[in-house]
Amino acid sequence: MPVMNSVYRHREAGTPLTDLVAYRAAGGFKALEKALADMEPDDLLYAFHRSGLRGRGGAGFPMGRKASFLPKDSALATYLVCNADESEPGTFKDREIMEMNPFQLIEGMVLAGHAVGATRGYIYIRGEYEHQARILDRALVAAREGGYLGTDILRSGVTFDLTLYRGAGAYICGEETGLLESLEGKRGQPRLKPPFPAVAGLYASPTLINNVETLAALPPIVEKGADWYAAIGPEKSPGTKIFSVSGHVTRPGNYEVVMGETTCRELLFGMAGGMRSGRSLKAFWVGGSSVPVLGEQHLDTPIDYESLNAAGTFLGSGGCIVMDDSGCIVRATLRLASFYRHESCGKCTPCREGTTWMEKVLQRMVDGQGRIEDLELLESLFGRISGRVLCALADGAVAPIKSALAMFRADFVRVIEEGGSARPEPMMEVAHA
Amino acid sequence: MTEAEIRAHIDPIRHEYAEGRSLILPALKFAQTEKGHVARADLDAIAAATGFSAAYVESVASFYDRIYLEPVGKRVVSVCVTLSCMLRGSDEVLEALCAHEGLPDHGHHAGGTSSDGEITIQEAQCLGYCDRAPCIQVDAEETVGPLTPDEAVAMLDQLREAPAPVAFWR
Repeated sequence: MPVMNSVYRHREAGTPLTDLVAYRAAGGFKALEKALADMEPDDLLYAFHRSGLRGRGGAGFPMGRKASFLPKDSALATYLVCNADESEPGTFKDREIMEMNPFQLIEGMVLAGHAVGATRGYIYIRGEYEHQARILDRALVAAREGGYLGTDILRSGVTFDLTLYRGAGAYICGEETGLLESLEGKRGQPRLKPPFPAVAGLYASPTLINNVETLAALPPIVEKGADWYAAIGPEKSPGTKIFSVSGHVTRPGNYEVVMGETTCRELLFGMAGGMRSGRSLKAFWVGGSSVPVLGEQHLDTPIDYESLNAAGTFLGSGGCIVMDDSGCIVRATLRLASFYRHESCGKCTPCREGTTWMEKVLQRMVDGQGRIEDLELLESLFGRISGRVLCALADGAVAPIKSALAMFRADFVRVIEEGGSARPEPMMEVAHA
Repeated sequence: MTEAEIRAHIDPIRHEYAEGRSLILPALKFAQTEKGHVARADLDAIAAATGFSAAYVESVASFYDRIYLEPVGKRVVSVCVTLSCMLRGSDEVLEALCAHEGLPDHGHHAGGTSSDGEITIQEAQCLGYCDRAPCIQVDAEETVGPLTPDEAVAMLDQLREAPAPVAFWR
């Protein structure tokens, strides 16, 4: 089973690297030293591009290409923003990086900031991660004292500093333009695009915005070379990806997998320990709660962007939620529907009203008030919500419901005919990864 | 909180932002540390310190789950109820906590503040500790889990006995 913990240094070292001395001893800041001594910003951009690294927040857009969209020599300031608003249900990989390896994120941000000509970057962290924010606060102070951040970094003449910005509880602020609105001191509601943040982002200035896991992958790419990274896994989905596995598995936790060389079966049953004894797999949402659900027949799908798309789902943020056959798919789908109803920001009517309707219909099925026509009613809603809104939240709300209905229709019919869904015995026995 | 106290908090970080509007959320979070919620007078003070209207400040504040515009308990206990936690027993944890505090335990109005004003129980959306499900978070302290319903109830008793926090970061 291929497990390669070569991208995130705390995994390679097998120990937290929250101390600057420990991070340096593990090879930290070598990439920054190399970049400032031997590379021009364009060399860095070219390395990001050649590595094939794709955005790890959910969309999977090529990072180097995104960075190349920023105008050169803009009269406005250029900004770098790290999306640390990790809120996708089932996802806790960025939490691990910030907790165990804050300097690799900082180093990656200095590299990215220098590449795009930014002198100020922001880390927007969700309010619930105050513990992780304090770890980052300390790391930022240490990085500044060590000369890795601030003015004249490593006496290179390069200036780049970081501000940690704390959110206050809103999933939608993980949507990049919602995040920018929040960072600008407004309600965190997504913007109409275009213009994209590369052209008019924070304070209407050119802005590169990337996820924690993406930015933290940059130091090894710069240090070991773009070709080294590009050679890991398949051509279109190179590198490693951290998957957070949770739910009905015996070893929930984060696992760094080599793209294309690891199957869903290896992730769920090999790494995460599989189901408890006497139980079998019912369903899994491989890339977070916003992706179409998969079943047992998909277990041998390799984990990479293309293969998962071919299986009808998305790699997403890598928050893999697993449910065994003690769980009810209708009840699980309702729980996700409730999440999106709660987190819809309310700006677009199809999403605000649609998420409410979907939750209501699923709720009455679970409560024993469902009617067989409700299945058609649900299906009629999907097209009135998806594609009629400003951001991806609504698509994320529809995907798990639409796919569950397609794959497990018989379960929905049974719940309606049997007059509801009994609550399953919760899995209280927990083993840590 | 007074305008001067808020200014003392945001003036040192003002240079980090091209627009002063960005200081509103840090100011709200800071003002909230005094009483555990943001009162009308706090909105006025933030408005004065940032140069925006109190109505605008409130429009920002009301967007965020973790800015409380009404009084809440001395400790706010957030129970994650999203799918990964549900599969491992978060509904049972929420019900046990609500029963212990005499609060409604289901529907859109689960939780609330205990009659002695000590504890607020609220449902939370995914807290990002799915590997430790079911999990709960007290104020903005580190999320803890996995917890059985009994262990969670025992935590409430401990919270009641502990001294109130000096500053309410939540």
